[in-house]
Amino acid sequence: MFKNYVKIAWRNLLKNKGYSLINIGGLALGMAVTLIIALWVTEELSYNRYFTNKDRVAQVFQSQTFNNQTGTGPSIPLPLEPALKEAYGDYFKHIVLSSWNNQQYIKFGEKNLARTGNFMQDGAPDLLDLNILKGVKAGLEDVNSIMINQSTAEAFFGTEDPIGKVVKIDNQHDMMVTAVYEDIPVNNSFNDMEFIMTWQHYLNSNEWLESARENWGNNSFQLFVQLKANTDMESLSAQIRDLKKVSNEDTAEFNPQLFLHPMKDWYLRSNFENGKQVGGRIKYVWLFGIIGVFVLLIACINFMNLSTARSEKRAKEVGIRKSIGSQKGQLIYQFLSESFLVVLFAFLLALFLVLLSLNGFNDLSRKEIAFPWRSISFWGASLFFIVVTALVAGSYPALYLSSFRPVDVLKGTFKAGKYAGLPRKILVVLQFTVSVAFIIGTFIVMQQINYAKNRPVGYDKEGLLQIPTFSEDFTGKYDLMRSEFLKSGAAIEMSSSSSPTTQIWSNRGGFTWEGKPDNFQEDLAWTEVSSEYAKSLNLKIVEGRDLSREFATDSNAVLINETAKKYMGLDNPIGVLIKDSNEENPDPPLKIVGVVQDMITQSPYEPVKQGIYVFDKEGESSYYNLRLNPKNSASENLATIERVFKEHFPKIPFQYDFVDDEYGEKFASEERIGSLAAIFTALAIFISCLGLFGLTSFVAEQRTKEIGVRKVLGATVFNVWNMLSKDFLKLVTISCFIAIPISYYIMNGWLQEYPYRVVLQWWIFLLAIIGALGITMLTVSFQAIKAANANPVKSLRTE
Amino acid sequence: MLLQLNNIFKWVQQGGERVFLLKDINLDVSEGEFISIMGPSGSGKSTLLNVLGMLDGFNEGSYTFMQEPVHSLKEKHRSELYKRYIGFVFQAYHLIDELTVYENLEMPLLYKKVKSGERKALVADMLDRFHIVGKKDLFPSQLSGGQQQLVGVARALIGNPKLLLADEPTGNLNSQQGEEIMELFQQLNNEGVTIIQVTHSEKNAAYGSRTIHLLDGRKISG
Repeated sequence: MFKNYVKIAWRNLLKNKGYSLINIGGLALGMAVTLIIALWVTEELSYNRYFTNKDRVAQVFQSQTFNNQTGTGPSIPLPLEPALKEAYGDYFKHIVLSSWNNQQYIKFGEKNLARTGNFMQDGAPDLLDLNILKGVKAGLEDVNSIMINQSTAEAFFGTEDPIGKVVKIDNQHDMMVTAVYEDIPVNNSFNDMEFIMTWQHYLNSNEWLESARENWGNNSFQLFVQLKANTDMESLSAQIRDLKKVSNEDTAEFNPQLFLHPMKDWYLRSNFENGKQVGGRIKYVWLFGIIGVFVLLIACINFMNLSTARSEKRAKEVGIRKSIGSQKGQLIYQFLSESFLVVLFAFLLALFLVLLSLNGFNDLSRKEIAFPWRSISFWGASLFFIVVTALVAGSYPALYLSSFRPVDVLKGTFKAGKYAGLPRKILVVLQFTVSVAFIIGTFIVMQQINYAKNRPVGYDKEGLLQIPTFSEDFTGKYDLMRSEFLKSGAAIEMSSSSSPTTQIWSNRGGFTWEGKPDNFQEDLAWTEVSSEYAKSLNLKIVEGRDLSREFATDSNAVLINETAKKYMGLDNPIGVLIKDSNEENPDPPLKIVGVVQDMITQSPYEPVKQGIYVFDKEGESSYYNLRLNPKNSASENLATIERVFKEHFPKIPFQYDFVDDEYGEKFASEERIGSLAAIFTALAIFISCLGLFGLTSFVAEQRTKEIGVRKVLGATVFNVWNMLSKDFLKLVTISCFIAIPISYYIMNGWLQEYPYRVVLQWWIFLLAIIGALGITMLTVSFQAIKAANANPVKSLRTE
Repeated sequence: MLLQLNNIFKWVQQGGERVFLLKDINLDVSEGEFISIMGPSGSGKSTLLNVLGMLDGFNEGSYTFMQEPVHSLKEKHRSELYKRYIGFVFQAYHLIDELTVYENLEMPLLYKKVKSGERKALVADMLDRFHIVGKKDLFPSQLSGGQQQLVGVARALIGNPKLLLADEPTGNLNSQQGEEIMELFQQLNNEGVTIIQVTHSEKNAAYGSRTIHLLDGRKISG
């Protein structure tokens, strides 16, 4: 019997090729979108699955409150580690202090390469359960040890055995390779950790850490923990909450609250507001999940509408089968098997589409999703997916078709009743509501991105080059390098800074100044810079002057930005002294010599933070900022700069970034979301239109005779076009009016997350309506005009 | 007694008024009869045939088919009953266009859940009997009207029904084809199949053993 059904279904598909193409093609497209989104969602949800201990690993987070503003983050002070060990050591298998991921120059023989990695305590390899390929897992026991990942090992040693080899770090320190671990795959934290060196070496080689050892106020470190089996993460997290507060009085005024941020939440749920977790990337997982479901729904609606629209053609078969002895249930079964068959074809086609587009999608979404051929759960889920889609798409047509009465349909005069079209209309409205909402949503995302992109940056990011200068080799060489670069003609100005132009790396408080309000707990973005900082960045000076080598007293001079001026309540900031509030051993007071324009250093969607630019006395900058000579091409400048650099630092690899590229990175995430949303929206609309196209052709066919009669009676092509298009345009208009308030509500909510955001304007909605109606008109017109131009003599003769 | 209709009424509601399609029909049919139903258009012939074939219901009265009270049976039971005992032949043949002759003949057997081997034998037998073996792989659109109706009759007979219902079986055929079909019916009747046909033609009615005349839903003779 099933064979019989399949045969009928197959022959029906072949007989109506256009219909089958629309039906299977549309469904395949919808399924492909859903599949890709499902793969993406799975990938997002499986972030950090590489780490076998992920359920018991956490990072210690801290919330602190400055001026009623609570900030939450992973930075913790050094003394927390011994305190935690003493008070709660029994609950942890490992407590591991770690530096931030940073860059080091590693040298072996002639090869000198920059690599990023961490300095960590002994427990790290076990906590992360690194997959050791060569050497030992306990590879951090000796101070001068380094563990490297496979790619780094290959880069240095090729096929040779790296274990026991000695490399030079930063041209100074000898480190012996103790282990090679497998590269950590891309969708995991620590995936850019190319080496691990010992914590002890970190302490030994950085003098400033000496003072941090006992300093509860210096939150510059990370602390990872692994819980012992059968220790509850949540209750332990609650227990350690006040550990810092009770351990140290000085910082208690900021109400430090500690908690464990579990590894499984690192990636998806790492946004905090007022010390509370408020989601994070998980919202995009939901967003795309919902888009996937809706696109599939749109495709299913096509199937339903086209099947029921064609019902008159199938009605006779239903009548015959019933008169021969088929029961309703058997017919339902038959039509469901048909839709199963169609969905199966569509699925195969969808798999093909996914394979074709996966590379492009990976590029766009910066993922490395591989097609899960071998995953049993993937095929299981696919089967479930096919069955559910077949049921969703096929159940309504099956119920509708199987309910025909044979007496009615066999008379040959069967016409679908007046209201038979109503569900179809509702479904079309549903489709276009979703599509229009997608259009509006995409518009607004794009607008918001453009709005932030057009925001004045405050400085001139074009033609600005930054060169990292982390190595100790650079110490004391700044003035020399500046004059060399300027002399070479490639740069017209240069400065150095302790953090890149596009980021804030340090925040400080603990100052006093004249007129400071009582109990004011300041939090200033802290950047150490050389003289001519503002000049090299083309950063506008609003009051006072730039830091300058002309003034001998500038070693204690600072610049502040406009926001800081307001924030600190300074009406006449020039000459104001900012003193260290530490009374025992105070740093010398800082004198404000200038106010510079606000520049965007953090998120372009957020207000600029109050910032202070301090003269870098030690000359220990992290970056050189070079204003390139606009008279030469960028490549010429770059070649010159590299040559000069190599002359002075032959052992150090030349690295550089263009600041405008770095700045562009700030939009990468939103732009990715935006372009994915745009593509999915386009596909959703395309699928909707495909359905509409199919429906119009059926309506035109159904009304062939009517159109013939009308034309004989004098109707023009326009009259007929109008008659056929009107109904659909009406439906799409209704969709627009449903979609607008829904999308307004959702997008308004989305925008609230961005302090710097575009104002929703009515013309966006108008544009969406015009767009939707325009597309509908185009789709419908093709069939309508074809029908209207048909020769009436022909269509009437067929009766 | 094969079937019995007692005081059958059937009506539809139209503009608040009842329009009667069948009015107080009483009919006894014995096994082996060959009955023709005649009457002008709209007199209720086809409606009566559909009621007899259980494709259509009625509003009042009782219908007994082989001692089973059809009016009080559940749909499932009723469909079992006619699947087993009734075959239908239509004026417009009503073959399924997407199935070949062979598959059209096979279909009733599939619904009766006949085993594959037996099915093959029965279809082969039927193809043979109607001399259409050579046409078994053709689709209905490749056959003439007479051949299609032949397939229609063969399909109605393949389940070995007790009662064959035919709604103007020759209406779409030319006179020669029509005659062939009627002769076939007579032969079947001689073999013991009870036949009820609706017809407009006195000549075709003459093949039957009894003629019922309807007018405006009432039986006026027979």
